[in-house]
Amino acid sequence: MRISILPARSVSEVSTLALMFFLAGVTFGATGLGAMLLMTLLSGSHLGKDASAKHGISNTESSRLGGLAVSIVVIIYIVGLSAISPYTPGIVRGDHYLYLWSAIFCCCALGFAEDIKPDFLTPKLRLGAKFVLFGALFWVCPIFIPLTVGSYAIDFLLNTPILGWALVTVFAVGFVNALNMADGANGLVPGIAVASFGVFFMEYGRPMDGALLFAFSIFFIFNVISGWYFLGDAGSYGLGAALLGYGLLGVVDGHFSAGFMAALYCYPCLDFLVSVIRRWRAGRSPFSADNGHLHNRLHRFLKPRVKSPVMANSLTGVIISGSTSGAVLVIYLLALLPTQSDLWFGLFAIEVALYLVTLKYLTSVQPKTQYSDPV
Amino acid sequence: MRVILYFIIAIGLIGVGVFESASMSADDFKRRANNEAVVNERSIRSILALGSVGSLIALKIISDGRQTVMLKGNERFLAPGEVLIKSDVD
Repeated sequence: MRISILPARSVSEVSTLALMFFLAGVTFGATGLGAMLLMTLLSGSHLGKDASAKHGISNTESSRLGGLAVSIVVIIYIVGLSAISPYTPGIVRGDHYLYLWSAIFCCCALGFAEDIKPDFLTPKLRLGAKFVLFGALFWVCPIFIPLTVGSYAIDFLLNTPILGWALVTVFAVGFVNALNMADGANGLVPGIAVASFGVFFMEYGRPMDGALLFAFSIFFIFNVISGWYFLGDAGSYGLGAALLGYGLLGVVDGHFSAGFMAALYCYPCLDFLVSVIRRWRAGRSPFSADNGHLHNRLHRFLKPRVKSPVMANSLTGVIISGSTSGAVLVIYLLALLPTQSDLWFGLFAIEVALYLVTLKYLTSVQPKTQYSDPV
Repeated sequence: MRVILYFIIAIGLIGVGVFESASMSADDFKRRANNEAVVNERSIRSILALGSVGSLIALKIISDGRQTVMLKGNERFLAPGEVLIKSDVD
């Protein structure tokens, strides 16, 4: 693994680094500086390097090892805390946490193989592996399957044993893929992660949520300011599995309504659904890549209006994550709605309307969607 | 060689936060054993180690460890003597 050493960077890169380290130091002190240094070192690694303009809307060379960097920070924190404090991690306390984190680890490993060697596994093989993984998780731990989500028809299906299991498995695989698909702009998926773990941490106060909030906050600062990093498949698959597991448990426990989770995770789910429909209508495979996502179109709209290409990219991600998951976090912090309320479906409906109106407008004023695969 | 040194520094700095969080937690165990209240003030040391946001997170973990979290069964803490090394408590 070859790594660029810090002093070899250019003057503009050094000023970017200085800003990132300053923000990390102010928010998370010495620990934040350590996490930022670790991420900086890994971002310079030639392993997992993404060519310019290959990933999402990025036009700079960036690393796909963001997921690895976040994982290392979380592991150091949790292992250290378990070794020298009275804290007992979830995987020791409960079987369902052990199975969930095993599934998260397997998702990370699946994505990591792809980050290190693109097309190492075929898309169908990865999809099949995720079905097997989540199918096994929900089969062994049916505690993750919510029995009521506020809709009579869906509740009926969820309460039918095999059907409920199949439905949640399909949803889980779709959700993990949706989060991977949304990881195309700086600060988009990390922003969703910060808002989500912020909510979970405020609600439960679990050290694991605190560690994840810390790691993703540092990654968010790094990602938005420099654009040198993406979560990569390891990060987006692992994060998708973690958000899914904690979200499902929150709904099952009755701490959160399904509407709350729908509003919190709105963008990846909605963008995935709209992309699949767009590709199906165009006669393409639902797996074929295209540039018709809202973040692609918003970036194309912002690019000529913002001087720095990195800032245009970051502004795109921050606007989308801030107006969806960020809005949920703000409403939660202001305690305007109880987390168990079905009124969150109202906010979800507003987010859907905002997405569709913006996409419709941008599609009407911009060139047609381009697809990577032939019809 | 220099890269390895940077990695060691990075892990060491993260370790500073881990030790600070752990010592705050261990200190709270001592206070709880004496039926004392949670300390809600942040020390200079905790702000330097964990930052303005991180020290708030550590405080919440400790206060929730005593109240909500334990009541709801989301986290369980072992008795101090089972895990803590004397040097960590003192």
